[in-house]
Amino acid sequence: MTSLHNSEEEKLAHFMHRIEAGDKIEADDWMPEEYRLTLIKLISMHGISEIMGALPEKEWVPKAPSLSRKLGIMAKVQDEMGHGQLLLRVTEDLLKPYGKNRGDLMQDLFNGDLKFHNVFHMKTTTWADAGIIGWLVDGAAIITQTNMLGASYGPYGRALQRICAEEVFHAQHGESIIMALAEGTENQKAMIQESINYWWESLLMFFGPASKETTGSSKQDLTIKYKIRTKTNEEFRQLFFDKYIPRILSLGLTIPDSTIKFDADSKIWTYKQPDWNEFKKIIKNEGPRSQERLNLRRTSYENNAWVRDALSAVVN
Amino acid sequence: MEGVSKMTGEKTFYQEYEVFSKRTPNSTFQHQFSLLAPNEDMALVLAQENFMRREPVADIWIVNRKNVRKMDAEEKMTLGRLDNKEYRTTKGYGYLKKKWRQYEQQVLDEKEILSWGGERQ
Repeated sequence: MTSLHNSEEEKLAHFMHRIEAGDKIEADDWMPEEYRLTLIKLISMHGISEIMGALPEKEWVPKAPSLSRKLGIMAKVQDEMGHGQLLLRVTEDLLKPYGKNRGDLMQDLFNGDLKFHNVFHMKTTTWADAGIIGWLVDGAAIITQTNMLGASYGPYGRALQRICAEEVFHAQHGESIIMALAEGTENQKAMIQESINYWWESLLMFFGPASKETTGSSKQDLTIKYKIRTKTNEEFRQLFFDKYIPRILSLGLTIPDSTIKFDADSKIWTYKQPDWNEFKKIIKNEGPRSQERLNLRRTSYENNAWVRDALSAVVN
Repeated sequence: MEGVSKMTGEKTFYQEYEVFSKRTPNSTFQHQFSLLAPNEDMALVLAQENFMRREPVADIWIVNRKNVRKMDAEEKMTLGRLDNKEYRTTKGYGYLKKKWRQYEQQVLDEKEILSWGGERQ
């Protein structure tokens, strides 16, 4: 069958026209390599972060303070692994022209070529951290993920529909933990405040620097150009402040930044920048728990190799 | 050998299956997503784990992706319709409502006709 769009320029023009018209691109459709590579980088990082993010949370399954809390956090850990499965599936279909698969993605993670979100390199010390992860870390993730529900790449948008529906449960699971502590003893209240103090910088970093000048690279321009998302990193961060600062303050907690303030006219929050050099170290797997978590993943991948081997009957 | 990964022992572990399910015995099957599994039985187990942790589900189908005949971009272009098929739809017979009113009768529209499956009013 002959193609209606023969030259690369014609293909690109047709592709951009489809995106502009709100059409969805599917895995087998022609796409410019820049689009494919942008998606691979974004979605593999998102997918592997779901899996790496389950690790600090699963530490709290045996330590949860009651049976219902244990069931709740177990369900959340299972969801996160499920999200990882969905997103790796989306990535694998994009990787086909390069002859790469899930095993290669795992190797990329182990080699340090595939990054995971800064927040999952951090340590969790108390039960309040488990609550803050659900409430604010998942809250930050929801801000970015809901923005991509209408992404030009159909399979990613559809995966996010499923993911965001479950994230609503995660956010309320976190709120429930925090609410119980906030209405508890002085020690419990102090525990949440300590947790917010510890996580605040990481939460700001989660959205990425405002421009590529800060860390030397940023995919935000490309993801906006290709209608994968519509908001910039800074717009995400401002939206996060809008939604969460009033709620944090309403519980009698404080923001660990005495300079933060909201300008009602411009509707802009000004705030103290996190240490972006620290961010660069963290995403190079030099964060407080980077190596421990990677080793956990390596060990489980090696220990479970026999399962993959045993189930790999050759079929025609 | 086809499907052999660079990593040993993973020859056919990563097969692609498409997952379909229906919510109730009376509903139609809907595509859910795809997953990787070493065989059909594992694919069924994983389909439930991956996609049906909360919603009600009455049945699940899994299909190896290699058995799905997809349309390519050009074939999809044959799916467009000309907007001149009113004679195939009730829209082409919309004037009947007014006509029947002249005879002091109501038109038997879709809502009315499909209601006949219930109890006689």
